[in-house]
Amino acid sequence: VKINIKSSKNLTLFIIMMVVFIVLSIAIPSKFLTGINLQSMASQFPEFGLLALAMMMAMITGGIDLSVVSVSNFTGVIAALILSGSVDSSTPAGLAILFAVLAVVAVSVVCGLVNGLLIAIIGVPPILATLGTQGLFLGLAIVITQGHSVSGFPEAFMGLGSDNIFGIPVPFIIFLIVALIVSVLLNRTRQGFSMYMVGSNPTVAKFSGVNNTKVLINTYILTAVLAGLASLIMISRANSMRPGYGTAYLLQAILVAVLGGTDPDGGFGSVKGLVMGIIILQITQSGLNILAFSPFFKKFIWGFALLAIMVINFLLHKYNERKRVIEMNKLKTAAQTG
Amino acid sequence: VSLKSLTKKNETYLLAIVIVFSIVITAINPVFMTWENMFDLLRSSSGTAVLAIGVFVVLLSGGIDVSCTAIAICGQYIAINVLIASGVDNIAFAFLISIAVGLALGAINAVFISIFNLPTLITTLGTSSLFHGLLLEFVGTKAVNVGNIPDSIKAFGKMNILTFSRPDGTEYGLSIFFLILVIIVILTWLLLKYTMIGRGIYAIGGNREAAKRTGYNIRKIQFFTYMYAGLLAGVMGVMHLSLIRYSNPNYIVGSELSIIAAVVLGGTRISGGTGTIAGTLIGVALITILEKNLVLIGLSSYWQQFFIGMIIVLGVTITYAQGNFNRRKKQSADRIKSGEVK
Repeated sequence: VKINIKSSKNLTLFIIMMVVFIVLSIAIPSKFLTGINLQSMASQFPEFGLLALAMMMAMITGGIDLSVVSVSNFTGVIAALILSGSVDSSTPAGLAILFAVLAVVAVSVVCGLVNGLLIAIIGVPPILATLGTQGLFLGLAIVITQGHSVSGFPEAFMGLGSDNIFGIPVPFIIFLIVALIVSVLLNRTRQGFSMYMVGSNPTVAKFSGVNNTKVLINTYILTAVLAGLASLIMISRANSMRPGYGTAYLLQAILVAVLGGTDPDGGFGSVKGLVMGIIILQITQSGLNILAFSPFFKKFIWGFALLAIMVINFLLHKYNERKRVIEMNKLKTAAQTG
Repeated sequence: VSLKSLTKKNETYLLAIVIVFSIVITAINPVFMTWENMFDLLRSSSGTAVLAIGVFVVLLSGGIDVSCTAIAICGQYIAINVLIASGVDNIAFAFLISIAVGLALGAINAVFISIFNLPTLITTLGTSSLFHGLLLEFVGTKAVNVGNIPDSIKAFGKMNILTFSRPDGTEYGLSIFFLILVIIVILTWLLLKYTMIGRGIYAIGGNREAAKRTGYNIRKIQFFTYMYAGLLAGVMGVMHLSLIRYSNPNYIVGSELSIIAAVVLGGTRISGGTGTIAGTLIGVALITILEKNLVLIGLSSYWQQFFIGMIIVLGVTITYAQGNFNRRKKQSADRIKSGEVK
């Protein structure tokens, strides 16, 4: 019997997702299963969902990107300064927004390039390189703003975070489009295929003609650009930007990536699994909020969930291995006796 | 020790940077190079150094521990609450509780890392959130003010092993914290150099598979490593408490970045197997001078985060670029030797 581990993992996730959803719907129907709650959930998760997508891409190549939240802070501060400056100098909102978006993309590409060069050219382990740049980028955000928050954006920009199109929140639509693009990138392009190869075995990838250096640099540029996009949603939803915003997202992004079936050692991970992971996290978060749990308890729960999922994955892996060995032995004895 | 071997060592360069930095600061502000300021720096950074030694041992074994700060604050906050609730006013009791908490939480890390084979960074990120969340949810969120801190803890914070008097009759001196640090440094050095388990820590960090086949008990060594880091975090918790005479369950957590930075700057490889205690201590000195004295040279504290990030990035860039260069040099030397290239 051939078991597809990848699809069975997604099936498990799907079941968990449905169970959590149904339990909460039955337990607190008057508050959970309402249009407003569904809408607010759909507008809450895209900002860390984008960070989780970034984390997944780094993990697929066998790395990790601890600097995503700091990149968001850095690009967010720059966009916020451009936008609030435009309000003061009465620049047309459209032009200001265009400038802000371009600045975010440019700055995040540079941030990603710094990470990529450190990792791919100099050979610094991703943990260490992004640990350093995490401090560096956040530090830049703090230096630029002197630690203060920046607020007051054009009316038109606020729509990005709070408008609905046919009742669907705009951040959610942005997330769907980006997730689709990432999915196509991972499954249909040379870059995506190479990322999986580099992640599962860099030496084999190299000798198969993959340019590991280029693939890794591209990967870290992509993760930084996603972090930059997340910052646009963040500042639009909060109508301000303060350096240090969203530090809790780092753990959540790693949690969701691992929950969604991404292998932190590289080589595995899919957008489908990740999206289900995000939905599970968001539903649970919403449930905990409605049931009025303290933020400390949530902190505990996220740590616990991350560890529990990793332990379950480990045990499942071990179980599958054992089953495979037993079946192999059976085949062997059958071949010997027959 | 020859000059040539000194120039090859990371510690030499690091020490040079620390010295140059100190001279620059002294030139701008002469207060820096006084015995009093030095003793003060030692007093306030000994705790950080103790925590860094714990992280250093973990890095040596090929792991990473970002939960050490959460463990330290758990030890501290539980210890102070137990002391107040029980009415026992004894510094040894505080250390005992904090160390017990540290050992227990370190053992939890070890269970995940050693038995379930989970990646150390993600595990300790998870346990850090878990420990701190539990502390705030079930032990408390209120800070303990100076008025409620037991006298023995306050007295311990002021205790000196060497005392000098200023011209005006007041006294200053070398804090007992320095003695604790020295004891821990010697203990850790002996442990790494002369015990089987210490050699094992280097071995599993250098090459796990080889260590396993040589007969090292990997599980035992990992349990020891993470529990030792927990123990040191527990010690640091009480040191920090008697230093600032105040306990806030949100303190210490968040400084893990600069502690790891100190250790890594000290030349310890994040992939394990290489590193020295001396390097770690110099790394701590560099980070401490940077954190505490930016204001002395006229830079606002907003630059702190940026400088720490910058120092880590530059430090690791130099370390790894040097490694690449040496490897390439060796490869080409080998090729010339084997006659491939003339």
